[in-house]
Amino acid sequence: MKGITQVVTVELKLIVRDPMSAFFALVFPVIMLWVKLRGGDKPLPGGTPLIDATVPMLIIFVVGLAALVVLPATLAHYRERRVLKRLRVTPASPTMLFGAQWAAHMLLAVLGSALIIAIGAVAYGLNAPGHLLGVLVAWLLSALSLGAIGLLLGAVAPTGRAATVIGLSLFFPMVFLSGAVIPRESMSGSMRAVGDLLPMAPAVQAIRDGWAGGVASPITLGIMVAISIVAGSVALRAFRW
Amino acid sequence: MTAIIEINELRKSYKSSTALDGVTLRVERGEIFGIAGPNGAGKTTLVECVSGLRQADGGTLRVLGLDPRTDRRVLLQRIGAQLQEAALPDALKVGEALRMYASFYDKPADWRAVMDEWGLADRKGVRFANLSGGWKQRLFIALALVGNPELVMLDELTTGLDPAARRTTWGLIRAMRERGVTVVLVTHFMDEAEALCDRLAVIDHGHVIAEGTPRELIAKAGSDSLENAYFTLTERTEAV
Repeated sequence: MKGITQVVTVELKLIVRDPMSAFFALVFPVIMLWVKLRGGDKPLPGGTPLIDATVPMLIIFVVGLAALVVLPATLAHYRERRVLKRLRVTPASPTMLFGAQWAAHMLLAVLGSALIIAIGAVAYGLNAPGHLLGVLVAWLLSALSLGAIGLLLGAVAPTGRAATVIGLSLFFPMVFLSGAVIPRESMSGSMRAVGDLLPMAPAVQAIRDGWAGGVASPITLGIMVAISIVAGSVALRAFRW
Repeated sequence: MTAIIEINELRKSYKSSTALDGVTLRVERGEIFGIAGPNGAGKTTLVECVSGLRQADGGTLRVLGLDPRTDRRVLLQRIGAQLQEAALPDALKVGEALRMYASFYDKPADWRAVMDEWGLADRKGVRFANLSGGWKQRLFIALALVGNPELVMLDELTTGLDPAARRTTWGLIRAMRERGVTVVLVTHFMDEAEALCDRLAVIDHGHVIAEGTPRELIAKAGSDSLENAYFTLTERTEAV
């Protein structure tokens, strides 16, 4: 893992220098928050205040955007521009590059999550998470599982544009069906059934459980661990410089 | 004295063509060794095999006494390379690139010293996209050296440079040799090979068709310059 801190630092500097995609990843969820709460903070079926459901949902939205869209686009752009080709003749390993790209993009997601929480707390009276550790574990496993899927896409997509298009076409159906935009309580049974098959569903489930004061079931957390391991190792095998 | 690169009967075929058809070569420590030949002759495949990026189908290959197929990770600590058309992110600055590349190696050179030595200190904060062709090549040379390598492979480093920038780059390559680094230089330009190389090999159709000092190759072909010798050897002169 030699060089990983340098690569993370450089990647963050590059994100700041070309901030369009990062800006999009940070601002889009804030706009979503405003849209969702426009009608006031009414309780959902089941009694959860809308804001206490919406903030954790949009946190997964941010993580998903960074992991499934921005990260693969960065990696594929480096492939397209032969940046990876130059790195290939150095001791830098694919594992290290993956780790660095994941860390840099997840730091972006941390920033996005903090922004949503801050606005939720200041403008909409967000309640503190009932089970902080549960929320942190859910966040980390979401970042690992969705990040591994993003790395898999970034490992093979030939160009930045291709990665963006594929990433967005994974991201949008996922956020709508997995309950990251529409609360699961308000979804029809059939929609929920389809959504439960998507890898974002356990992420939304776990973080909302944590926020509500519980801990997600071992199955929910286990699915995320499994996705991380499987998608991550396939990504390493499939990686093209 | 042991050779820094020993290649014996190296073979590599792709689906529809044979890139290397039994190449045998020795590169000695401390020399600038040229690899010349027409497009498609197998030059790049050869360099990629030596760097461990491609696996040969047959023959033996030792680089710094190591087998690039099995000791690739160790080898990459000890060689530097600039392969064709490889690049850096547009917004990456000169100093950041050197610092990051240095961090990949177990025993790197001091990246600030490399930056000063190759005249890049004034451009430390310049983004890659804003460097001219000549300065990009200078940065690539510095990046190839920042890991403190014993061997540097340069594939068509001066292609696309204007004549003045090419001359400057030649000076840099000579300066590498003076620091004791062995240089393997793939080139299309015979004036470049004549000016720089201690020895060179001319490759065509996956074979080494001639090997020696520029003077020896000129004598062998009975020519007056390396350029004419090259055309005689590769038999690619068109009737005028």
